Amino acid sequence: MSRDVTLEHVTIRFGSHTAVDDAHLTIRSGEFFSFLGPSGCGKTTLLRCVSGFLEPTEGRVLIGGEDMRGVGPNRRPTALIFQNLALFPLMSVAENIAFALEVRGVGRQARRKRAVELLELIALPHVGDKKVYELSGGQRQRVAIARALAAEPQILLLDEPLSALDLKLRQHMRSELRAIQRRVGLTFIYITHDQGEALTMSDRVAVMSEGRIEQVDEPLAVYDHPKTSFVASFVGETNVLPATVTGRDGTDVTLQTDGGLIVQGFAVGRRQYRAGERCQVFVRPEQIKVAPPEPGPNRLAARVLAEEFEGNLRHVSLAVGGSVGGSGGAPAVGALAVGGQPLRMSVVNDGSLPPLQPDAALTVTFDPSVASVLPEGPLARA
Amino acid sequence: MSARGNVLAARGSVWRPVVARISWQRLLLLLFVAAFFAYLFGPLIIMTVTAFNSADYPRVTPWDCFTTQWFGRFGRDSLLLAGLANSFFIGLGVVLLSLPIGLAAAIALSEVGERARSLLYTVFIVPILLPGIVIGIATLLFWGRIAGSFGLGHDTLLYNGIFLTILGQVCFISSYSMLIFLARIQRFDPTQTEAALDLGATPGQAFRKVLLPFLKPAIGSAAVLAFLASVENYNTTVFTIVSESTFTTVLASKVRFGIDPTISAIAVIIITTTLVAAIIQEARQRRLAARRREALAGVAAGAGAAAVMAGPTGRLLSHPASVAVLLLAVVGGLVWAGSRYDSSACQDALLQQKLQRQQELLEQQRQRMQQQAPAQPAPVPSGAAPKPASPFGGVFAPNNLGLSAPGGAVPAPAPPGAAPKPASPFGNAFAPDNLGLSAPGGATAPKIEPGAPAAPADPAPATQ
Amino acid sequence: MSPNGIRVAFSRFFHRWGPGVGIFVTGSVALWIVLLIVLPQLAMFDASFRFNLPPAEIGGPRDLHTLSNYAALLLDGRGGINWLDLGVLGRTILAAVFVTILDLLLCYPIAFVLAHGTSGGRARLMVLGLIVPFWVNEILRAFAFRIIFGSSGVLNAVGLGLGLWAAPVDFIRQDVALYAGLTYTYLLLMIFPIYNAVEALDRNQIEAARDLGSPWWRVHWRIVIPVAKPGIASGATMVFMLTAGALAAPQILGGPSSLWFTQLIYQWFNEGGNWPRGSAYAVVLLLACILVTLLAMRVFKVRIGEIGR
Repeated sequence: MSRDVTLEHVTIRFGSHTAVDDAHLTIRSGEFFSFLGPSGCGKTTLLRCVSGFLEPTEGRVLIGGEDMRGVGPNRRPTALIFQNLALFPLMSVAENIAFALEVRGVGRQARRKRAVELLELIALPHVGDKKVYELSGGQRQRVAIARALAAEPQILLLDEPLSALDLKLRQHMRSELRAIQRRVGLTFIYITHDQGEALTMSDRVAVMSEGRIEQVDEPLAVYDHPKTSFVASFVGETNVLPATVTGRDGTDVTLQTDGGLIVQGFAVGRRQYRAGERCQVFVRPEQIKVAPPEPGPNRLAARVLAEEFEGNLRHVSLAVGGSVGGSGGAPAVGALAVGGQPLRMSVVNDGSLPPLQPDAALTVTFDPSVASVLPEGPLARA
Repeated sequence: MSARGNVLAARGSVWRPVVARISWQRLLLLLFVAAFFAYLFGPLIIMTVTAFNSADYPRVTPWDCFTTQWFGRFGRDSLLLAGLANSFFIGLGVVLLSLPIGLAAAIALSEVGERARSLLYTVFIVPILLPGIVIGIATLLFWGRIAGSFGLGHDTLLYNGIFLTILGQVCFISSYSMLIFLARIQRFDPTQTEAALDLGATPGQAFRKVLLPFLKPAIGSAAVLAFLASVENYNTTVFTIVSESTFTTVLASKVRFGIDPTISAIAVIIITTTLVAAIIQEARQRRLAARRREALAGVAAGAGAAAVMAGPTGRLLSHPASVAVLLLAVVGGLVWAGSRYDSSACQDALLQQKLQRQQELLEQQRQRMQQQAPAQPAPVPSGAAPKPASPFGGVFAPNNLGLSAPGGAVPAPAPPGAAPKPASPFGNAFAPDNLGLSAPGGATAPKIEPGAPAAPADPAPATQ
Repeated sequence: MSPNGIRVAFSRFFHRWGPGVGIFVTGSVALWIVLLIVLPQLAMFDASFRFNLPPAEIGGPRDLHTLSNYAALLLDGRGGINWLDLGVLGRTILAAVFVTILDLLLCYPIAFVLAHGTSGGRARLMVLGLIVPFWVNEILRAFAFRIIFGSSGVLNAVGLGLGLWAAPVDFIRQDVALYAGLTYTYLLLMIFPIYNAVEALDRNQIEAARDLGSPWWRVHWRIVIPVAKPGIASGATMVFMLTAGALAAPQILGGPSSLWFTQLIYQWFNEGGNWPRGSAYAVVLLLACILVTLLAMRVFKVRIGEIGR
C-alpha cells in the first residue's frame, strides 16, 4: 500500500494572511520526514491541512495518489499526535488506546486485546487500567502514540510532541520515536522547531520560514549545504559575514567582508556571482581552526575576547582585524569585523590547543570549501 | 547581610505602625465577616429554634415548652403535600427541558464568532434579568392566546397550570443552566474533539464520547440548580400555576395569611436536608481531591508516600458513603426520638399555670370591681405586658391556624385576639399587614391562595 | 445576527458536531428564544393595548387596540395625574436602587476576602456557608425575617429585654424587615460576579501598592475596584432588576403603607381581574427597569455583554 503524501502547490490563507505559500513536495512512503521552522512559520497549519482539519486555499493534498479534498479528518488514513497530546482525561489508558476501535464498532474483547498488544509495543504493559493523570510525561507520550497507532493509520503526523518534556526525557524519546517508526514502518511526518530533533530523527527535513519551504534535504545536507541564508542561519550555530563579491573562478568566490577582510568561499548552487554583488558568507564555528604556520587562504589575525568551556567543546570568541598578509598586524581588541559580532570558534577539547588568555593574539583560518556564499537574504532571529 | 540589617533598622520605624494598622484592619474585617454570616444564618437559626417551641406563634421568647408537634402537623397537611407533589413534577419537567436548552445555548456560544457571541450572549442572559412576574404574565397570556386561536377548551394542556409553570420557569432557568454549561465548556480543550475525529470518530461520536462525558459534572450541578430554582420559584409560578398549587405557593399563602410554627418545622426539614447534602458533597470533594493528590504523589515519589496520608480507618470514615450513612443515622435517630417525645405533660402544666393565672387575674379583677365600682375597664394590668399574652395564646391554641381546614378560610389571623399580645398597643400589627396585601379597592378579607390567581374560567380576563 | 452569519454558524455546528447535534443546537436555541422568550413578551405587549373584555367578545368587533391601560397608570380619571400608582412605581425603583447599593456594600468586602483573604479549605467552607442558606426556600427566608422583625419578634424581645427601647418597634411598618429581606434574597447574585472579577487580580499588585505606602482605601479605589467593575456592574444589574421585580418578599414583609409595584400588577391580575391593565403595568415596570439599568450602564461605562460572567 502506498503511503506517500504529495503536496501540490498548497497555499493556505486566513483572510489576507498567507500561512502556507506554495508548498510543493512529496513525502515518500515509510519515510521519517520533518518540517523544521520557527514558531509561526506555517508548519502546524500545513500539518492540519494534511490531517484534514483544514482545506488548502489553493493546490491539492494527495495521499497514496488520492486527492483528499472534501475528505474529513476521520476518513483520512492519517493519525495526529497533538502537541498537548489531547489524551482523553476521563478514560483509562486502555480506553484511550482502544478509542479508534470503539468508534469503529469493534467489540469489547477485541478492543481489550489490541490495547494490550499496543501497550506491549510501547513497553508499558501494566498501565492499561490507570487514569491518564497518573502517568508521567514520557508515559503519556508513548500512550498517545499507541492510541494513534490503534487507528491503523498509514501516516502518523506528530505536532511537536516532545516540546512539553524536559531535556533528558526529550533526548530519550527521540531514539524511542525513531525505533517505533522503524518497528511499525509507517510514514512519519514530524513538526518541530527544535533542529536537534529534526536532524537526529529524520530521513529528510523541510526547513520552513514565513510560510515558504526553504529547503528539502537530508539532515546532513541541510546542515552542510544550506541553500538559503535563512537555512544557514537557522540550522546550527554559524558565523555570518556580510560581504561584497570581488572576483569569481568557477564556484570559488573571492569577497571583501564589510569589516575589510578578504576571504574566499564557494558559491552554493553554482550561482554565477558578478563582481560588486552583495552576499553573505556562512562559516560554522567548528570549521574555524587555529592556522598552521604554512601560508594558505583565509588566514585571519585575531584576538581572544573570551572563552567558554562546555565539557567536550571550547567556544572561543574572537575579534578579527584583518587578513594576515593583507593589511597585516594584530587587530586592536574591540575592532570587530564580523557584522558587529565576534567570530566564534569551537574547538574539540582534546588538549591540542593550549589554554587561551584573553587578549592573546592568534591566527585562525577556514577552508574555502566550507564557507558557503549565499545571496543576501533574511536571517533567522537568534 | 549587614546592609539588609541596616535597611530593616532604617525601616523599622516605618514598618511598625503599618503592621499595627494591618492587624487592626484585620480585626475589623473579621468582625464584618462574622456579622455578615450572622446575618446569613441568624434568621435560619432563629426559625429553627421556633420550630421546637410549643407556642402557637413562631417565637423564641417567651419559651413555652419543647415540642415536636409542628413536625407532625406538616405530615398531615394535605394542601402542602399536594403542592409538594406538583412542585416535584414541575421541577422534573423543568430539568428535562432546561438542561438540553442550556446545553445547546452554551454550545452555540462556544462555536460562533466573536461578534455573534456577544449578541447571542445578551439574548441568552435576558431571561435572568426579566422580572419573574413579567415572565409569568407573558407565558400565561401567550399560551392562552395560542389555545384561543386553536379553540381549545379550559381543560386542555395549554390551560394546565403545571404545563404553563414548566414553560414559564424553563424560560429563565435555561439561562442558569446555560451559564453552568458555558463555564465548563470554556475549560474544554477543543483538541480533544479533533483527536477524536482524527481517530476516526464521526462528529456525533465525538460529541457523545468526548464532550458529553466532560460535561457530566456540569449536567449534575445544572440539574440540581434547575430543580431547586424551580421548586423555590414564586414570582413566575404564582401567575402560571392558575388553579393548581405548588409547594412554594402554598407556603406563601400560609405565610401571608397565617403564621404558625409548622412553617418553621418545614424550614428545619429543608435546612437539615440541605446540610446533610452539603456535608456529603464536601466529603466527596475532599476524597476526589485527596485521590488526585495521591495519584500525583504516586507519580512523583512512588506509591509509598501516598498510603501514609490516610490509614484504612480514616479512609473508611471519610468515604462519602459512610459519611452519608452516619449522618442519616443521626438524623433518623433524632426523628425517632422526636416522634416519641411527648410535650403534652409540659403543655398541660403550662396551660394549667396559665389558667390558674387567669383565674387569679379574674379573681383580682372581681375583687377590685367589688371594692370600687368605677373600676378600670382594661383586663390587663399595665405592668404585666408579657404575661397576659399567654392566656389568650393558650385558649386559642388547639384550633389556631387553619392547617386543618383547606376550605376554612384560614381564620387565624383575622381576629386580633389570635396575636400573642392582644392587649399591647401594637398587637394589631398583623392586621394592617393583611390589609396591605389585598387589593386597593378590594375586599379586606384575606383570600385563600389557591383560588387567588384568576382562573381561566373567570369571565373577566381576556383569554382569546 | 445577519442571515449570512446564521448560515455560517449553522454550517459550523454541522461541521463540528455532525447533523444530529447541529439540529439539536439550532432547534433548541430557536425554540427557546422564539417560543419561550420573544413571543410571550410580544403577547404581553399586545395584551396591554387591549380592552378588558369578557371571553365572548374577544376577537369580536369591540376587541380593538387602546391606550387606556397606560392612561390609567398615568392619569387618575378625573383629569389629574395618578400619583398613587406612579408613586408606587417611583418608590419601588428607588427602594430597589437602595437595596442594590446595600448589597454592594455588604458583598464587596466578602467577595474580596473570598478571593484574596482565604484559601483552600477555609475558602471552600466559606463558599458553602454562602450557598447553603440559599437552598432554603425564598418564602421561608422571608418568613424567618418576619419572626425576627415582628412586633413580638426576636429583635423586639432583645431590644426590650436590654432596655434599648421602651415600647416595641414596628419594624415591618418601618420597612426595615422588607429591606433586610430583599437585601438577603439577592446577596449571592452580587457576591459571585464580584468574586469572579476580583479573583483575576494579581495579588502582587495589591502588595506592591501597599508596599509603596498606599492606604488600604486607596489600594481598593485605584487597583481592586477597577478590576472588580465588570463584576460589580453585573451583580448590581441582576440585583436591581430582580429586586424591582420581586413579589414574594414585599408580599410577606411589606409594610401596610408601602406597596411594591409588582403587588399592583398582581392585584390587577388576581383581585382586579383586569389582565390587560396588569400587562400594561408589567410592560411599564419592565421598561422602567431597563431604562434605569441602561442609564446606570451609561453612567458607569459598562456593556451588557459583561453581565453574568
